Amino acid sequence: MVVETTKSAVVDGRRLRSERTRQYIIEAYMALLRQNPRPPTASQIAERAGYSVRSLFERFPDLLSLSLAAADHAFAQANTQAAIRNANGDRATRIRAQVETRAQTCEDWLPLWRALVLNQQVSEELRIRIRRVREAIMARILLMYRPELDSVSQVERRRTLIAIEALTDFESWARMREAAGLSFDDACTVWIRAIDRLLPPTPVS
Amino acid sequence: MLRLGEGDRSPAAADAGLNVAMSTTATVVDGRRLRSERTRQLIIEAYLSLLRDSTQVPTSAQIAERAGYSVRSVFERFPDLMSLRIAATDHAFAQGTASAQLRDLDGDRETRIRSQVETRARTCETWLPMWRALTANQGDSDELKSRVRLARELILRRLELMYQPELSTLAEPMRRYTLIALEALTDFESWGRMRENYGLTIGEASEVWIRTIDRLLPATSAA
Repeated sequence: MVVETTKSAVVDGRRLRSERTRQYIIEAYMALLRQNPRPPTASQIAERAGYSVRSLFERFPDLLSLSLAAADHAFAQANTQAAIRNANGDRATRIRAQVETRAQTCEDWLPLWRALVLNQQVSEELRIRIRRVREAIMARILLMYRPELDSVSQVERRRTLIAIEALTDFESWARMREAAGLSFDDACTVWIRAIDRLLPPTPVS
Repeated sequence: MLRLGEGDRSPAAADAGLNVAMSTTATVVDGRRLRSERTRQLIIEAYLSLLRDSTQVPTSAQIAERAGYSVRSVFERFPDLMSLRIAATDHAFAQGTASAQLRDLDGDRETRIRSQVETRARTCETWLPMWRALTANQGDSDELKSRVRLARELILRRLELMYQPELSTLAEPMRRYTLIALEALTDFESWGRMRENYGLTIGEASEVWIRTIDRLLPATSAA
């Protein structure tokens, strides 16, 4: 009985260490992407994580699997960070809440997003994840602006959704921050003001 | 072309002979230059057509095969693939600018919006693959980066010109913020998503832009 418990504790400890190593490797991969959107090599990732290349390939059969695991990890984290707030607030509150959440997501996840988009041609699984993210973005826009979007025809609703999605795209955020040199708050103001103009009037309930 | 008689050896005839020889050499050189220029052009077009098939940077062997030349011929015209990419970008910009002449600058609001959207839509439809390759690979070269920057500046300048009657009613920074929003809305990838992800026709996608630009713009100044 004691022997079995000890064995099980050893196995659990090993599994935990292995899981931790896996996590460090994913984090090293994402840290390297923040420095350069080009996919890092196995030896760069291993060096950054503080493990051997062999350790890396013991956890991930290839670099594509690592990038998919990183994408899944990022989506889970981004979803936790971007909890829906103020969905029942007034128009101005909802616009501000949606813009601030979206801006923070773009600020945090732009490097990984760029890497995913850059590599989507090599993997159907990456393409599926990109599509899923876009669908989640659309669903959130629809949810946050339901009072306004429900008040117009289906064609008009779709047009407005597409326009808001284009406006609040990752690369739109990047251009405001990198090319136009706007501060986080000024870039949010651009989006807030534009969304307010794009949305139809809020119906009086 | 002049032909000289066998017995004609006067200084004038000798001059004439020299002129003919020079003219023949010049014709041969011109012909060679023309052929070389044509080969260069065909290589650029092969590169662009491969980009339309895939955003992955094509290899020199793929480019040579598509153009119908040897890999050696490619590297006789371009020292490396980066030079070819830069030349193709310049060719695309020249073509894109030529086909996107400013029209209806003095039209009413609706005419200007429609005209700008039609031109921009055509540019996006034609040059999206090239743009994707350019933005994906711009990290490789400062020259590519500067071309991306230049293209964006031209897009902003055009928006400023087309919507001057509306934008002039706004004080800074609101004028700049509106321009930034217009540029984001009419970006290449915004067009790409409408066409590829949402399956809109050119007409439907243009209509999205027309409606939303109209909403983003402030009222047109009376003047």
